[in-house]
Order: sequence, then structure tokens, then C-alpha cells
Amino acid sequence: MSFTATAEQTAAVDQFDRTTSRWGRITMIIALVFSLAAPIYLVLFTDLGITSGMIWTAFFAVAAAFFVLWFVEPITYYPVLGPAAMYQAFMIGNIANKLLPSALVAQAAVGAKAGTKRGEFSALMAICGAAMVHVFSMLLFVGVLGTWLVSIIPTDIVDVARLYIFPSIIGAVLVQLIVTMKQPRVTVIAVVVAVVVLFVLVPAVPALAKPATGIVVLLTAVLAWFLRSRNSDAAAVQEHPGI
Amino acid sequence: MKTAVMPGGSTDILAIANIPILWILAIGVFGAIILQSVIYMRAAQKAGPSANISQAELKTSFRAGAVAAIGPSLAVVLVSVALLTLFGTPAVLVRIGLVGSAATESASASLAAATMDATLGGPDYTQAVFVVAFMAMSMSGAMWMIATLALTPLLKRGDSKLRHVNPALMAIVPAAALIGAFASLGIAELGKTPVHIITVIVSALVMGICLFLAKTLSAAWLREWGLGIAILVGLAVAYFAHTAGLAPAAA
Repeated sequence: MSFTATAEQTAAVDQFDRTTSRWGRITMIIALVFSLAAPIYLVLFTDLGITSGMIWTAFFAVAAAFFVLWFVEPITYYPVLGPAAMYQAFMIGNIANKLLPSALVAQAAVGAKAGTKRGEFSALMAICGAAMVHVFSMLLFVGVLGTWLVSIIPTDIVDVARLYIFPSIIGAVLVQLIVTMKQPRVTVIAVVVAVVVLFVLVPAVPALAKPATGIVVLLTAVLAWFLRSRNSDAAAVQEHPGI
Repeated sequence: MKTAVMPGGSTDILAIANIPILWILAIGVFGAIILQSVIYMRAAQKAGPSANISQAELKTSFRAGAVAAIGPSLAVVLVSVALLTLFGTPAVLVRIGLVGSAATESASASLAAATMDATLGGPDYTQAVFVVAFMAMSMSGAMWMIATLALTPLLKRGDSKLRHVNPALMAIVPAAALIGAFASLGIAELGKTPVHIITVIVSALVMGICLFLAKTLSAAWLREWGLGIAILVGLAVAYFAHTAGLAPAAA
């Protein structure tokens, strides 16, 4: 493309970068505050006998499983999303299965290449479109219809559903993850480590029951690194399934 | 099981999970996203000509993105509705619908519940367990946003340290952490009641079939809907197994 930017055009694009960076951050911080305020309200204003010790213990158990992803996901997605869309993507979620396809479809529709300013603007507008559809369908179908639906389903069904919802999610998620990641070696290591930790180590040392998942994550990561296939290092950096 | 006299002993989760103030805070998160989109779109319209993209092309991009998002959004809706009884509507809207995902948030909640010697959705899943789980998953979700807020400016500046993280390390360690976490949680279910074991296996099989069909029939939508379908089939099988008396009398 024989497009050379004039000083005026560069200034306008710089202004765009400044506006989106500033407001992207401000709106993300607002969302962050609102999303934390809800559980904090329940902790402080319901008399359920919750101590800060309970919260930190629970947080560390979650952190042990996910802290690597907190940092890796933003770094992984940055080259694809660019700075402005980063603040959208990590608020809206479902990046790999919804936002990226939307952006690609839009870029194809207007014939804009990724990596150009045209491509960046097209992707940003596409993510705005995806965000509006998502916000609207969540509010209507989950907020209004879903709440109503749950209220009319017989309680014995709801009780059973609540009892088995976790196993009915986790089996599917695990299979999806293994298929998308295409890392057979890591998968075998993870499964072996999990079986050994959960069914050999924990029964032998019951004190390890609570940090069990953290132990599995750590051991899997360490073993996967030292047992990695050395010749496929070059083919690294694969797509990340934003689950 | 602990007596119902202790504080936080009630298992009526929805009594506290659906209170009005939580709805207001959830709407606040939606408001932040709408505000952001409006500001971004106006900024893009203003600077569009300088970025060599016309107003019509911006509009086309918006519409293309919106249409492409309909299927995936409805798939998230289905999964979210299934989780309503566990977390209540406001928490599901914010945690599953927006910031997080069904997988990470239910995994986080399960891990958090375990630290209180409870099972997610089980007879010991009391209000107190719900609140601690909600707090822990919100804190973990907040860390994702804090990392984004902290790392984006650094990446924009082209921080050489971040860009030169060993690619093999970036490929293997996150994959190992993810698969390790979910393998551990999935396999832990196999140590519970026969109904739990059946449910995990059915859910895994249904997802396997969906992914296989998605590939052989090149039906991408099956990949998006796989989780929702697996949950529905899993719950249906769980319901029949449970009512057939496969679960132990009372946990």
C-alpha cells in the first residue's frame, strides 16, 4: 500500500492511542473495583463467621493453580490484540473462541491486514460489536430468562444439578484442553502426576490434601520442562485456548 | 456434617447470592464495558481517516464482529444458566459471562471450597463456603486484570525482557500448569461417589464426540457448543444415576 502518513495523520493516530490507553485503563479499573466489591460486600456485611485466614487460604489454593496464567495470557495475546484491545479482551473474556474470530472476520470483510493501523481499527470495532452482542445476550438470556428458568425448575432437579455440575464441567473441560493444546507429552505427565499425588501421596500424607492441586501443577510444570522434547523447541509458541 | 446452628451453616446460597446490591455491582461491570466500547468507537471514528479506514468500513467491521459473536455468546449463555444455582445470577454474569470463564471460575470455586473441607454444590456447600469461593475467584480474576494493566504499557514500550522470554518456556510451562490443574481436579472427581465418576466420564466422552464430529464434519459450532452439550448430557445422566440410587444415602 502506497500510504504515507502526514504529520497531521500521525497526530490523529497518536491521539487515538492516547485516548484508548487512558480510557481503556480507567474503564478496566472501574470493572475491577465493581467485580471485587461484590464478594467484599458479602464478606463484610453478612454474618457468616468468615475470617481473613479462610479467604487467604482459599486464594492461595486458587493462585497455586492459576498464577502462571495471570502473567502468561496477557503476554501471549498482546501481539495479536495490540494495546487498546488488551483492555477490552481481559474484561470481556472468551478471547480465543469469540473475540479473535470476530476480529479476523471483520478484517477479512474490509480487506484489512493484521499488523497495520487499518487492521487494528477494524479489529477494535469488531471487538466492540462482539462486546455489545455479548453484554446484551448475557443480560437478557442469563440475567432475565435464566433467573426465571431456574425459579420454575423443580427443586429436586435443581438440587441434583447443583450436586453434579462440577463433574459435568470438568470432564469436558479437561478433554477440550488436551485436544486444543496438542501436547501429548505434557498430558501424560499431568495425568500420571495427578493420579500419584491424589491416590498415593494424599492417602499416605493426609495433610497434603488441601494443597494437592498446587502440588500437581508445580510437579507437572517442572517435569514437563525437564522431560520436554528438545527437538521441537523451535516449533514452540502455540495458540493458547483461552478457557 | 456441621450443625446448622453455626453461622454460615445455611445452604440456601441464592438467598444471599441474588441480593439487590450484587445485581447493582454486576450491572456496574457491564456499564464499564459499554462505556469503554462507546469511547473506543468514537475515538476510532475520529481517527479513522488518518488510519486509512473509512466510516463505512468501521461500521462493516462492527457489524461483522457482532454477527460472528452471536454463536459463541449463546454457547456461553447455556453454560452460565447451568451454573446459576451454584453461584446466583450476579456472580455468574460477572465471573462466567465476562471476566473469567466457566472452566477457570468453577475450578477456582472448587479449589476454594476444598480449603473449607466442602465440595462445590455438595450438602456442605454452605453460604459461608460460597462467599469464600466467590471472594477467592474474584481475587484470582482481579489478578488477570492487574497483570493486564501492569504488562500492557511495558509490552507497548517493547520491553525487551518480556519479548525475549524463552519461547519453549512460554509454550511448555503454561500448558503444563493448565493441564496439570484441570487433570488434578478431574481425576479428583474419580475418588468420589459412583455418580460423580459416571458424570465425569460421560462429560469427557460427550466433549470428545463433539470435538471429533466438529473435525470430521468441519462443524466449528460444535467446538463452541461442546461444553454446553456435555454439561446437559452429564447432568441428565447424573440425575438418572442419582435417582436410581447410585449415590450414597446422605453425604
